[in-house]
Amino acid sequence: MSAMENTNSLRIGKPYAEIDNDILKPLETFPTKTWWIAFLVAASALGMFGIVLTYSFFKGLGIFGLNNPVSWGFYIINFVFWVGIGHAGTLISAILYLFRQKWRTSINRAAEAMTIFAVMTAAVFPLIHVGRPWFVYWIFPYPNERGPLWVNFRSPLLWDLFAISTYFIISLVFWYMGLVPDFANMRDRLERFKSKTKIGQLLLDVKKITLRVISLGWVGSAKTWHHYEKMVLILSALATPLVLSVHTIVSFDFATSVIPGWHATIFPPYFVAGAIYSGFAMVLTLMIIMRNVFKMEAYITMKHLENMGLVILVTGMMVSFAYTMEFVMAAYSASHNEQYVFLNRLTGPYAWAFWVMFTCNVVSPHFMWFKKLRTNITVLFIISIVVNIGMWFERFVIVVTSLHRDYLPSSWDMYIPTFYDYAMLIGSFGLFFTMFLLFVRSFPAIAVAEVKADEANEELAQHH
Amino acid sequence: MISFKEIKEGLFSYEEPAGGWVATFKKPTDLLKAATKVRDAGVGRFDCFTPMPLHGLDKAMGLKRSWVPFVTLVTGLLGAALELLYITYIDVFDWPIVYGGKPHFAFWGYIPILFEITVFFGGLSTVAAVIILGRLWCINRKPVAPGITSDTFAIWIGDNLTKEQVENLLSGLGAEITPVE
Repeated sequence: MSAMENTNSLRIGKPYAEIDNDILKPLETFPTKTWWIAFLVAASALGMFGIVLTYSFFKGLGIFGLNNPVSWGFYIINFVFWVGIGHAGTLISAILYLFRQKWRTSINRAAEAMTIFAVMTAAVFPLIHVGRPWFVYWIFPYPNERGPLWVNFRSPLLWDLFAISTYFIISLVFWYMGLVPDFANMRDRLERFKSKTKIGQLLLDVKKITLRVISLGWVGSAKTWHHYEKMVLILSALATPLVLSVHTIVSFDFATSVIPGWHATIFPPYFVAGAIYSGFAMVLTLMIIMRNVFKMEAYITMKHLENMGLVILVTGMMVSFAYTMEFVMAAYSASHNEQYVFLNRLTGPYAWAFWVMFTCNVVSPHFMWFKKLRTNITVLFIISIVVNIGMWFERFVIVVTSLHRDYLPSSWDMYIPTFYDYAMLIGSFGLFFTMFLLFVRSFPAIAVAEVKADEANEELAQHH
Repeated sequence: MISFKEIKEGLFSYEEPAGGWVATFKKPTDLLKAATKVRDAGVGRFDCFTPMPLHGLDKAMGLKRSWVPFVTLVTGLLGAALELLYITYIDVFDWPIVYGGKPHFAFWGYIPILFEITVFFGGLSTVAAVIILGRLWCINRKPVAPGITSDTFAIWIGDNLTKEQVENLLSGLGAEITPVE
């Protein structure tokens, strides 16, 4: 009985024009003070990112804390972290669509945007980590004048290139095609606007022409919707295995090597669960901010936040299971190296990182068992941030503790990140949030046509 | 057996509204009733315009099944086949290097790339198909009635009917009928 009430409570019950106004009107006015402050903070961090990046091009990778046993440091940690964040967007837009989870509708647009920006942020890191980023196009297997010299198609690092670029492009077109009907709506709304000043009129005309181009002349013909709906279904069906493949292949980067602590068959499902876990935490952070700043409580309801809290609980337990299994397998492996690496994680010089990860990822999701806590916005917000701290440390533990003490004790070393490492980490948040803030200001952050489709189809269902 | 004609009909259905009449409604239920009536009256050229996709409208209009997934399947498999040929050419003929004692043609190692390429070609061709079939490059298209991207539901009737005939056809649905240039 209560489940039925919950599904019904997702209905907004407003006239269509009012839904348009609620979501599209903020885009037609000047940004608020809160937005400017947030934007300036994010843009400053992005500026720092740019400066450190440029400096590293002149000085080389030596400015970072990388050393001989720990040749994968913050860069790969940040890469895996950001790619993982992206996964929740596709889960919401594709997998929850296939499972007919209606609550996805009002959060899917922003979550997909998060995916795209997270993947873009992630992609920066391996591009620099190759050492000579100006030759990065060599990784594409195109007929070339260097021999031709080809890439190794059996290498997980190359699979990763294919996986991430396909993932990015498919997510981008999926997101864009979803935006087209809303762009058409914005285009038609703009027709009644006129500006008094010349400059204002010019800017308005630029906006009108841009919207006309990007809305592709969409008028909502039923025959086009007919194909369009099939396309959404097909893209969801393609994106579902795609998103699972992406973090699976990212985990292959580790699992196919012979480093103790990486060489484990549990890695693919473990990484996918972790990706969805951290991604949902990031969606939760962003949605809580978005609904408060843009007054979207009618669209992003408590039910949405509660559901995301439950996803965090489930994926958090999957991740906890994977952590435990790693130790069980190490204990059972009869391999001294494997056993030592895990003992070193628990008690070695980086044990603090392990315990931060453990507290954040294994303990904190269990607060979500209690309805009172998972319907409390402050608690949800804190948990969502704690989980992402934990997930960043998970990658730190995997990369650094496995590498810093390798097979040969004489080459053991400590990994000490430099100022530039931290600057790049903070800067990557600047890059991500700058793009996200620009998105919420210029694009409809809630899929208007989809929200209205749920309303209209519910009305149709009641009449039949 | 699937005929070529069936696939063609299931893909190229879109027609630019020109001439005839357009009737607008404020409720999706009225549009659905109107579409059923227009279809049953045997009108050949007509289309509906809605701000959002409506369930059951395709049936009410008598639209043929969309064959867009067919495009996805064909292009996806074609992409994967081409990629396999390309990799085989590189790894077996042009640059045969032994990696870790494995055979030159390492099919299992190619599966991740083949999968990604299938998705890449399949996904992009699906989007391209929708753009081409809906003629979404005509960016200067004018909506047949105001508000059809916001809160108005419209049906366009392209057959040569008089206003009275259209009014009779849609009587009792509270439609607003205007001519289309």
